[in-house]
Amino acid sequence: MSYIAGVDIGNSTTEVCVGEVTKNGNLTFLTSASCPTTGTKGTVENVHSVKNALKMAMSRIGRETSDLDLVRLNEAAPVIGDTAMETLTETVITDSSMIGHNPSTPAGVGQAVGEILLIENISRAVPGTPYILAASADHSYEEIAAVINQYGASPETVDTPDGGIDIVGIILQADEAVLVENRIHRKVPIIDEVRRIDRLQDGVPAAIEVALPGQTIRMLSNPYGIATLLGLSPEETRTVTPIAKSLIGKRSAVVLKTPGGNIHENVLPAGEIYFHGDKSLTINLDEGAEKIMDAMAQAGDIRDISGQPDTNVGNMLSRIRTGMSELDKSTEADIRITDILAVDTLAPVLISGALAGETCLEKAVGIAAMVKTQKLPMQEIADRLKHDLETEVKVAGVEAVMASLGALTTPGTKLPLAILDMGGGSTDAAVIFEDGHVNLTHQAGAGELVSMLIQTELGLSDRHIAEQIKKYPLAKVESLFHMRMENGQMTFVDESIDPRFFGRVVLLTEDGMIRIEEEIPMEKIVQVRRDAKRKVFVTNAFRALRKVAPEQNLRNISTVVLVGGSAEDFEIPEMLMEAFTDYRIVCGRGNIRGSEGPRNAVATGLVLSYLGERGGQS
Amino acid sequence: MIIKKPSIFIYTHQADPAVLKEVCAGIEEEGVFYDTAEFPDECMEKLAYKAARDSMLGSGIGIFGTAVCLKMRGLEKGRNIENYLAPNRTQCRNIGANSARAIKKLPFKEEYRL
Repeated sequence: MSYIAGVDIGNSTTEVCVGEVTKNGNLTFLTSASCPTTGTKGTVENVHSVKNALKMAMSRIGRETSDLDLVRLNEAAPVIGDTAMETLTETVITDSSMIGHNPSTPAGVGQAVGEILLIENISRAVPGTPYILAASADHSYEEIAAVINQYGASPETVDTPDGGIDIVGIILQADEAVLVENRIHRKVPIIDEVRRIDRLQDGVPAAIEVALPGQTIRMLSNPYGIATLLGLSPEETRTVTPIAKSLIGKRSAVVLKTPGGNIHENVLPAGEIYFHGDKSLTINLDEGAEKIMDAMAQAGDIRDISGQPDTNVGNMLSRIRTGMSELDKSTEADIRITDILAVDTLAPVLISGALAGETCLEKAVGIAAMVKTQKLPMQEIADRLKHDLETEVKVAGVEAVMASLGALTTPGTKLPLAILDMGGGSTDAAVIFEDGHVNLTHQAGAGELVSMLIQTELGLSDRHIAEQIKKYPLAKVESLFHMRMENGQMTFVDESIDPRFFGRVVLLTEDGMIRIEEEIPMEKIVQVRRDAKRKVFVTNAFRALRKVAPEQNLRNISTVVLVGGSAEDFEIPEMLMEAFTDYRIVCGRGNIRGSEGPRNAVATGLVLSYLGERGGQS
Repeated sequence: MIIKKPSIFIYTHQADPAVLKEVCAGIEEEGVFYDTAEFPDECMEKLAYKAARDSMLGSGIGIFGTAVCLKMRGLEKGRNIENYLAPNRTQCRNIGANSARAIKKLPFKEEYRL
């Protein structure tokens, strides 16, 4: 009787499975465990996570790692993936020519045109000229209201020559619009929470607009509206179009007519990608994801992909190449980028020179790339493990074959069988036929690309929260005692929810709620999350399966088992199932050994393959 | 029948006028009505609890001296939304704004930008 362990080192997690083999060749699975991979897959740093996972697994059956008789490592696929984002357009404001934001409480409604008048300079104002008053937070709301009531015209006197100065709109730095409005006699549109009010210049003509409750601005988000209010020529109207575009959807806005001031929409030099395949093709990144993928398909069998030097894409491609060459230090190392996945996306980018933190949606392309080398130094890891654990350690079996073997333990499967291994860095597919013959492929783009897309499209500050959004369902805390789930269901709680979560969108994790700091509606987050998953996984599933299918035809595949970390996701398997219905493919999340879910396929396969080898020997 | 307009209640005892004024300004900026009443109770939490219980909107503030506390109806004893013993101007404004945001079901402000 002996204990056999299978170890699968993945891009993001290391999984182990331990089985007991009796003398007459009966195998019983005892335990399994997983923990995050330490270091890059295929490096000696992985030893820590392997030992850790083995310890965890063995302690579950009350044993020590020294009780193991054999550890079997997977011959990890020599691929690593990386992702990058390239913004294709940028918006730049020169001389602060607009403000457009959504303060929670502006006051008054309508639009007005006037000259900017700083409250300190109110004595220089003359009757008969319309003014837009600007006040910094140094002035209290009572002071501002008093000044306006003293110098400003009242509704009755505004049309008389000596009625006082004509204040048609107000811009405030503090959040006090309603307080000021309640204390002034003549009602005008008021915008507050303008952080960089110090950049407003005295005497500049400006147009101000506050939308009706529940609506967004109409005049200033329309180029002809701006032209009407500020009296622009056709040429000038053309130049304000980007301003109008970036003000769409805002509840309040100011547009300034500064002579030299302008807003530019630049198309950034994005760089080119070179495909070296059956045909050599060059494509510019700003052609968009679809064209890039078309070009790659046309290039046929890809030998290598490179990027224009000194561009973002060029740097990214050379970065992952160097990363891989550090793993395989042998001089004859043959490191090539064999696949990329490009996805179109929009990223909210902070406009440089903005007065109130405005952002503009810019076009961007997200790219995942994958490098392949001849072999990862798995033997080094095995030797190190052998020394540390004092047991037999063997590198055995190709990853995809082991995964297929493991996947076959899912109840209801039979040969021929296709597996789709959706991990963090790459999406792998394999078809195993009755005669044991295996077709396999590795594709760039998986979980990490999804996280990156979620992060950029929602404008999140860090990657970690994007990962969490990918993994967990959302809810909105509607009161201290109940919340609404993203599917509309309501949940009530006995003990009041922490006020920090009140009114916020939260993620429901195993260890409680996580708050999303950015104020983004729940529906928007759900939509972005689903789109990102669909763009990456559905596209890649078709790409990968088509490559391994007999005669490149999906209809020749009858069963697909989904394995790997991303198959555990709460919605990706359903998305794929829907996408495959047209091809009459049985597709579903794997359930390894009928109990493990989609994880642990490779580790299980490694233990199973031991039986096969032993059988062969005896 | 007594008809009360929907408003946030502020129950006070020897309230510091500056604190009360800024709290009221915070509520006013959010566009919600408020009512103040004097109660002989020396505990900001009890004052806030009663104010929240009596307010039709379920949001109440208690002020004793400079100590100020925000509560919502149904919240257990010892659990306040926000409270300060000697608040500064922005903290007072914040507590007022948050009492109104509680009703509008908007996230609480952590820092009022003056």
